[in-house]
Parts: sequence; C-alpha cells; structure tokens
Amino acid sequence: MVWVAFALMTGAVVLAVLWPLGRARAVKTRDPDVAFYRSQVEEIGRDASIGLLTPTDAEAAKAEAARRLMLVSGDAKATGVQSHVAVRIAAVLSLIAIPAVALTVYIRVGSPEFADQPLTKRVAERAPPLNVEDALARIESHLAANPDDGRGWEVVAPVYMRMGKFEQGAHAFAEANRVLGATPQRLNAQAEALVYAANDTVTPQARSLFEEVLTTRQDDPTARFYLALAREQAGDRQGAIDDFTRLAADSPPDAPWQEPVRRRIVALGGTPPAVKEAPAGVPTGEAAEALRAMPSGDQQAAIRGMVDGLAARLAQDGRDPEGWLRLVRAYSVLKEPELARTAVQNARKALAEDQAATRRVDDLARELGLEG
Amino acid sequence: MTRKGRRLTLIASALSVICIAVGLGLYAMKDGVVFFVTPTELAAKTKEMRPNARLRIGGLVLPGSLVKSGDRHVAFVISDNQSEVKVSYTGLLPDLFREGQGVVAEGTLAGDEFKADSVLAKHDEKYMPREVADSLKKQGVWNDGGQGTKTATP
Amino acid sequence: MIVEIGHYALVLALALALVQGVLPLAGALRGDAALMAISRPAAVTQFVLIGLSFLALTYAHVVSDFSLVNVFENSHSAKPLIYKISGVWGNHEGSMLLWVLILALFGALVAVFSRSMPDDLRAIVLSVQSWIAAAFLLFVLFTSNPFARLAMPPMEGRDLNPLLQDPGLAIHPPLLYVGYVGFSITFSFAAAALISGRIDAAWARYVRPWTLVSWIFLTLGIAMGSYWAYYTLGWGGFWFWDPVENASLMPWLAGTALLHSAAVMEKRDALKIWTIFLAILAFSLSLLGTFLVRSGVLTSVHAFATDPQRGIFILAILITFIGGSLALFAFRASSLKPGGIFAPVSREGALVLNNLLLTTSCATVFVGTLYPLALEAMTGEKISVGAPFFNLTFGPLFVPIVLAMPIGQMLAWKRGDLLGAAQRVVLAVLIGAVGALALYALQGGPVVAPVLCGLALYLIIGSFVEIAGRIAGRRVPISVMAARALGLPRSAWGTAFAHAGIGLTLFGLAATSWGVERILIAHVGDDIRIGPYEVRVERVEPRMGSNYREWVAHTRVRSGGVDVATIDPSRRSFSTREMVRTEAGIVTLGFGQIYMNIADQRDDGSLDIRLYWKPYVALIWLGALVMAFGGLLSLSDRRLRIGVAKRAGARAQVARNVQPAE
Repeated sequence: MVWVAFALMTGAVVLAVLWPLGRARAVKTRDPDVAFYRSQVEEIGRDASIGLLTPTDAEAAKAEAARRLMLVSGDAKATGVQSHVAVRIAAVLSLIAIPAVALTVYIRVGSPEFADQPLTKRVAERAPPLNVEDALARIESHLAANPDDGRGWEVVAPVYMRMGKFEQGAHAFAEANRVLGATPQRLNAQAEALVYAANDTVTPQARSLFEEVLTTRQDDPTARFYLALAREQAGDRQGAIDDFTRLAADSPPDAPWQEPVRRRIVALGGTPPAVKEAPAGVPTGEAAEALRAMPSGDQQAAIRGMVDGLAARLAQDGRDPEGWLRLVRAYSVLKEPELARTAVQNARKALAEDQAATRRVDDLARELGLEG
Repeated sequence: MTRKGRRLTLIASALSVICIAVGLGLYAMKDGVVFFVTPTELAAKTKEMRPNARLRIGGLVLPGSLVKSGDRHVAFVISDNQSEVKVSYTGLLPDLFREGQGVVAEGTLAGDEFKADSVLAKHDEKYMPREVADSLKKQGVWNDGGQGTKTATP
Repeated sequence: MIVEIGHYALVLALALALVQGVLPLAGALRGDAALMAISRPAAVTQFVLIGLSFLALTYAHVVSDFSLVNVFENSHSAKPLIYKISGVWGNHEGSMLLWVLILALFGALVAVFSRSMPDDLRAIVLSVQSWIAAAFLLFVLFTSNPFARLAMPPMEGRDLNPLLQDPGLAIHPPLLYVGYVGFSITFSFAAAALISGRIDAAWARYVRPWTLVSWIFLTLGIAMGSYWAYYTLGWGGFWFWDPVENASLMPWLAGTALLHSAAVMEKRDALKIWTIFLAILAFSLSLLGTFLVRSGVLTSVHAFATDPQRGIFILAILITFIGGSLALFAFRASSLKPGGIFAPVSREGALVLNNLLLTTSCATVFVGTLYPLALEAMTGEKISVGAPFFNLTFGPLFVPIVLAMPIGQMLAWKRGDLLGAAQRVVLAVLIGAVGALALYALQGGPVVAPVLCGLALYLIIGSFVEIAGRIAGRRVPISVMAARALGLPRSAWGTAFAHAGIGLTLFGLAATSWGVERILIAHVGDDIRIGPYEVRVERVEPRMGSNYREWVAHTRVRSGGVDVATIDPSRRSFSTREMVRTEAGIVTLGFGQIYMNIADQRDDGSLDIRLYWKPYVALIWLGALVMAFGGLLSLSDRRLRIGVAKRAGARAQVARNVQPAE
C-alpha cells in the first residue's frame, strides 16, 4: 500500500521533469535586460527633472545607460532547442536517477514497516482493563501447558495471594522455587502462604521451609518471626518469648515488625526489650489499636493494605499534604526507597501550588535521605 | 577627481574606519570581557587576579548551602565537587535556581567571598549553562541526560 | 502511512534537487531551452514535496505519534494544539526541516514570480538554489532526521521545554528563517551572476525584490525574537548580545549593506564586485548562524568536540558553498568592466560610507561572537564577551551611520552638494537638539540618554525632509501636494519609513536609561509606586492550564487614583518536566510599559515582586515594524516589475507632468 503511494509520487516527480523537456520553445535571455535599460534611461530623465541628478550628470548617466542598452541588444544569443540528443540524454537520466536516488536513500533511512500511530488510536487499541479472573484463567492454561515457566509461576503467585487463594499461591511459589531455584524471599513467601492457608497456623511443612531460609540467611526476620510463632503454637511459651525478644533486640527500632513482635511478647506475658526509639509506623490512634489486635500475620498485610489505600486515595485527590508526608514515611519504614522516592515526586507535583507543603515534603525527603 | 584619486579617498576612508573599529575593539576587550572560572581554578589563581576584576564563577549550588536572610539577601556555595566558593547575592533568584543545579554567578571577589551582582540561569534546552556543563563534564560529574535517550532508531 | 509518505517525499525532494542542480545549469551554459525549462516546474515540485514532508511531521505532532523520536522528545499529548504545531519547529530536527522548506519556498517563488527575468539567469539561480537544498536535505536525512522511529513507542512524550511554549515561538522562528534563508536566494543570484558573467545593473534589479523580502522578514524576526526574550525570560532584558542573537544580527547588517550597495549597482552600475561580495557574505553569515545554533558548539564546545557530526556537516556545507563562490568570484572579478563614475560626495559616496560602517560593525559583532569560542578552542580559557564590549564597539560605529542617513538621502547621484544637503537638515538638527534638551530637563538621567534621543529625533525628522521638500511648498494646494506624494516612487517613501523606523528603535533603546526597577516584598492590597503609576496586587489565586498549574497575581495599575489597566503576572509549574516559569504581566501605557513578575509566595502570604517601568520601550519594536513597512513600500515599487516597464514609463510621464520641476 505504502509502496504504491511511493511509486505514484515518484512517477509524478519524474513527469514534472519530463513534461517541460518535451515542450521545447524559444527562451528569452536578453529581452528583460533590454527592457530594464530602456526603463533606466527614462528614469534618469525623471531623476534629473526632480533634481536628483544635475543636468550635465544626467546626460553622462544617460550615455552610460544607453551604451549598456546597446551592448545587451546586440548581444542576444540564439537560443532554442540545441540538440535533441541532449534532451533525450536528460530525459533518460532523470527517468533513472530520480527513482534510483530516492530508493537508495529511502531504503537506508526510511521505515516503511511503520504505520502511523496516533495516540488516540493506540489508546483505543490497548487491551480493555484487565479482568483478573480472565487473565488468571489464561495464565493458568498457559502454565498448565508450560509447567516449567518459572517466571509465569512467580508472576501468578502474588495474584493468588491477593485474591485470598493461599493454597494455590503456595503451590505457585513452590513451582517457582522448583524451576528457578529456591531463594529466601520465595521460600518465605511460600511458607507464609501455607501459614495463611492453614488459618495462621505454622504447619510443619511451613516450619521446615522457614528453617530452610535460616540455613542461608540466619537472621531473616520473617522466618524467625514465624518460627517463634510456631513455638508459641506448639505450647513452648518461654521459648517463644525468648525467640521474640531476641528478634526484637536484633531488629532496628523502626523495623515494621517491631510492633507485632512486641505485641506477641506482651501477649505471652514477657517483657519486650527497651525501646530505643518509637517506631514511626503508619497507623496511629484507633487504627493502631485495631491493628494490634490482629494476628501478626495479618498485621503485615494490613499495614500494606493501609499504605496502598492511602496511596490510592492520594492518587485520586492529591491535595492532602499530611497524607503525602505519611505515605512517604510509611514507604521509607517499609524499606521501599523506590516507592518512597516516587511518592515524593508525586507529592511535589500534586502540591506544586502549595509552596509551604512542597517545602515540607522536600524537608522530609532530605531527612529520610531520599534526595537524588 | 580622477579615478585614482577616488580610489585613494575610498581606501583612506575605509582604512580609517577599520582603524577606529580595531581601536574600539581592543579598548572594549580590556574592560568588556569577563573571565569564566570554576571554583577550583579560582582557588588556584586567586593571587594572580587583579583586585575587583569581574569574574563569572560556575558550578553546582551545594545542596543545603542556600541561606536566605532578611530582605532578599541570599548566600550559597558554588561547588565543582573539588573546591567551593561562598557567594552572596541580593536580589531575586532566577526561576531555575535550585540546590544541586548548575548556576553561573557574575560579580567580584571580596576576600574569600564572591559578591555576585547577577546570578544567571539562562539555560539551554538541557537546563545547564554551557560553561558549567563543560567544566563538569570534564570532571565526569555530570552526564548529558539528553544523549542517552535516542535509543531505537530503525 | 502519512508519516512515511512525508519521509519519502523528503527523499524524493533530494533526488529531484540533484537533477535540478545539473540539467538547467547545463542548459543555461549550452543555451538549450528544453533543459532550462525544467527549472521552474522542478522548483515548484520540490517545494511541494518538502511541504508534504513538513505537513506529515506536523500531523505526527498533532496526533501525538510517539513512534517518532522527534515527537516523543518534544511533545506531550496534553499540550495545547498551537504548541503541538509550533513544537514542530521548536526542536533541532523540525527546525532544520523548516529551514529546507523555506529554501525550497524561495526557489518556488523565484520560479513563479520572476517572469520578467532572463530565462538563462533564472535557470542558473534555481540550479544553485537546488545545490544548497540538496546539501541541506542530505544534512536533514542523515544527521537530523525528524522521521527517525522508536521501536517501542512510549505512551507519553517528554513535552516541549516550557520556555518554548509560548505564542512568540509560534511565529518567531519562521519569520527569522524566512529572513535568514532568504539570503540563500541572493546568494544563488550572486553565484548565477558569476557563472553566467551577467554582473550588471540589470542583475541588481532582478535581485532587489528578493533581498528586500529577506530583509523585511529578518527585521521582523529579530524584533519578534527580542520581544519574546523580553517577556519570557522574565527580567525585562530584550537583547543580550547572546551568540544566538548575534547570529541573526550579522546577516541583517550584511543584508542591509547589500540592499544599499545593490541600489548603487542598479542605478549606476558601480560597486559591482562589492555587491556580489556582500550577497555572498550575507548568506555566509546566515550559514554561520545556522552552524553556531545547530552544531551545539554554543551549548558546549566540549560536547561539540565529542559529537561533531552535525557541526562538521554544516561547516562542510559552509566551506563548499562559500569557498566555491569565492573561487568563482576571484575568477570573474578581474574581467569586470568598470561601472559608472561618481564623486566622493554623492549619493553613491554616502552609500559607500553606509556600507563601510555597516560591514565594520558587522565585523565587530563577528569578533565578539567568535572570539570566545576560538579562545576556548585554542587555550581552554573561558571568557564571555558581554554587552559592554558591544556597546563600546557597535555604538560608536552606529552613531555616524545615523548622522549620515538624512544627509545621504539629500545628496544627488554622481555628484552631490554637501553644503546644500546640510542646510536642508538644519530643521531636523534643531528639533533633535531641542528635544534632547527638553528630555534632559524633564527626565534627567545619564546624559547619554537625552543625547541619543535627540539623535533619534533628528533621524526621524530628517528621514522625511527630502520627501517633504518634494511635495510641499508655499501656496501649493493640498490636492497638488497629495498628487505629488502619490507620484513619488514608492521606494523613496520606503527609504524614509525604514530610516525613521531606525530612529524610533534608537529612541526606545536610549530611553531604557530612564527605566525604573523595583524589587520588593509586598502583601495583597499594598500600594506600590513605580514610575508615574501605582500598582496593587488585588488577589492571588491558583489556575489550571491544560498542561500546567499557575499562581496568578491579579494586579491593578492605577495612575493618580484612577484605574488604567490590570495585569496578571503568574508562575506556572509544568508537571512533565518539573519546571517553573514566570509569566510576566505587561501593559503598554503610551509607549512605555509596566512589567511585573512574581516569585514564590512566602508562608505569610507576601509576594516577592519584580516591577519595572520602562518608558518608550515599545518604540524599540514599533521601530522594527516601521522599518519592515518601509521595506514593504519599496517592494511594492512598480519599477521592480520590469515586465511592465513600458506601462511604468508611460505612468512616469504622467507623474512628471503632474509634478513640475522645482
């Protein structure tokens, strides 16, 4: 299609050259000059009449112009079609040269395979907003056919988790571990999924997975937390208190799991280690109370959920400086520097017209080391 | 007047105009030219500078160094990551003035402080005064963000 | 498909330019009518092809086709339509496409509108123009292709630099380019004259309308550019002696000189070598400007050294064309017949003086612009040559030009009467002197301001003395005077207006010394005195634009308690590039302007404000408009249409009868 257009254009251009070639006629080369000098002689007379030239100078100037007039009048060259051979050569040359040059250059620089891509068309052509169930079904059938697609398993696993299908989630993580090799993160995730699936009970299978994590990462807080929980659920109260206490002491004071860990210690009747600094967690007040009442596994998810909710709300309506500050702080606490940085940028944008608030966002970003 | 005489007049007047122009140019070069230095060059050359010589200093505004005090008086530090120069300035800062961004200050050196009477942020498309971009590039501090983006062309 | 058709059209234009560069030239040299006949349709076709290409790129910008690198890097889907369109030439690739488009436009205009030209001369002119077009098409296609694609088109573009999102940008570059590139056609004429040996008065007549057109647009383009800088850069400066500005000023100076020396060549067959040389020089300076702006050498000498492809390409074009034409020049210059003779004191002599001063001032600008670059390239030492240098060199050279202008208009061709001319400008001198004294008494200020204003007044009055002398007289009825006024050649009126325009601009420039600047902190409702006015910020509020948010300070300007105007200075934040831009509030009162800028609002609600009162500042740009109007009058002179020479002769006869010799 596009090549047809190119061919037509080339044809038109070649025609534009050939057409005048075929219509030979005489040309004027000296007539305009003659006309010009004639008018100039008249003009000198006019200039003299209004004092722009003195009469004697006018005479001299007139003589000069008249001399030039005679010069060009006698000089007229005979012109016309000099030779039909030259015309034919020219015709053949342009017939070949124009398409040849155009094609050579275009093939080097052009991109004929590209169609126009107006933005509106691209937006319209984009897949309609993903229906999760449909997408999941597609991925599942894909994975059924290609069970060794580790990436696929890894992608689908969190989707299951978000949908509350913890068993499938655990299975997907397990498959990912099988294909891609076990990593502490995925082992944790798989075990956590098993815990959720068993109504927050740390099953023996989950326990062995957490223990596997500890073989490669001895101080992994997630694994240690659940193993302590496992002790508690197994009835080893003092062992659990000891484990939780050690975990609390080993962790940075602002770690997000400090809060649930301490709750567990208190619930078990132990004394949590001295707090170095109040953790700057997200929820405060009533929400925090409610949060503390939750089982520890859910707490993490709940915190995440709240942060996500806050982010979503701010994305809708950004004129809430306090909200932005809280979100940035939360991401920082959750050890998500990238998200925190993005939040700072979004906050600046959303609050661009509120200079005082922007300044506070900047200050916080500097304080948290999120600059640059 | 003869043809030769005319030609001589013409040449003489042309020469005199050109002489005047050259003279003016040399005179103006003495006072109308401002040298551009980086903080490092300034540190190296402080002694050989004429007192009260006009200079342009370019570099990055050191983050955290901007102090606004009183009525539009600002002080900040220009740095090229090797040396630093304290700058004081009274007036409105340009729109694009930000900490960590490139800037050129023009003024005179008083002691170890640079008294700027104009702060330029007349940036090019890439928002970097050209002298600053050059000197920073030489040190490898600044990468041209615009160059790396032309990714895929057929 | 539309985009690729545009791309292919550009390639076809290159192929056609190559053919057109060879065949008509060969035809003209061999005296072959058929080959010469190619040039006109080919020139028009070439313009159509490049125009098609330009439209395709515009289409891509309008529909936000981000598969084009150029659109992705310089556009944004939320940008208002006008900036989507002006964004086409707001970037390197697009502006170079506009460059070749205008190049082709001039070729097409010559093909269509110069029926009264000798066919062989026109064929050569169009061939040379095609060579230039071919060189720049190669440059566009191989180093700056606006149609380069992105394999994975993103969903959003990077947006155009907010400073460039402005109505000024929509008009300024095209105007400037028409002027800049217009000198390509005078260059082609000069090359054609050298190739064919037709270096004579008739040639000067054929080239004049094209010089005038370029000059008019360049004048407007420079004025537009300076006004744009004035109101967007936000501190009231309108000319920075910035290399980019100098790059447009140099061709203007050379072009102005060319205009005047071509007049001598046309009337008197003198200054032939010089005129041809100026035609080459004007275009060389245009090319030099293109090189400076487009190679990146100004942005960073270092960047140019590491990625010199574009710069080297333009430099090669510059050297080829200029070197080639100078070689031809050297070859032909010796065979020229001497032209008409004239005394030093004569119209010709005055124009020679004008040329001398204009080219010298052009040279000083050249030195001031290139010296820092050369110094940095050779020694690594960085200097900036700023306003003081140019004021000291350019200023003293321009004063004698201004002084001589009215006198030169008064001198006769061949041999003039200097004393007589001086007597006739006495009135202008008196008015200038009285004006200067009056202004000094009224406004005070540095002495140079009233002196220059007086000079400007002298020039404005002096420009019309000659014409007044021709039409006015004691006991002459108005109707006769009107008839005389109409009977004068339009080019005489053009000269007067163009010269007066320079006077107006000079007046505006001189008056900047009386400007008042205040930088202060104010609250809403405070009364601020500035010059003869009071200004009060009524309220500050946010406002949403299509791709920016802004804080607007609604401000009232009052004079003696009476409201005279309102202005809305604002601060705009553009989210895509996270840039802030101040939008000045400007109002013209008389010929002066109140210019106001706001900065950040402080926590306590007070505003940092920058306020200027600039008396007569509007005259700077008004003067440029008057200059351009003068150019337009000259362009409409019927003598430029030689085809109707006979009729013109007859009308001149009538005019002579109406207007008795004095």
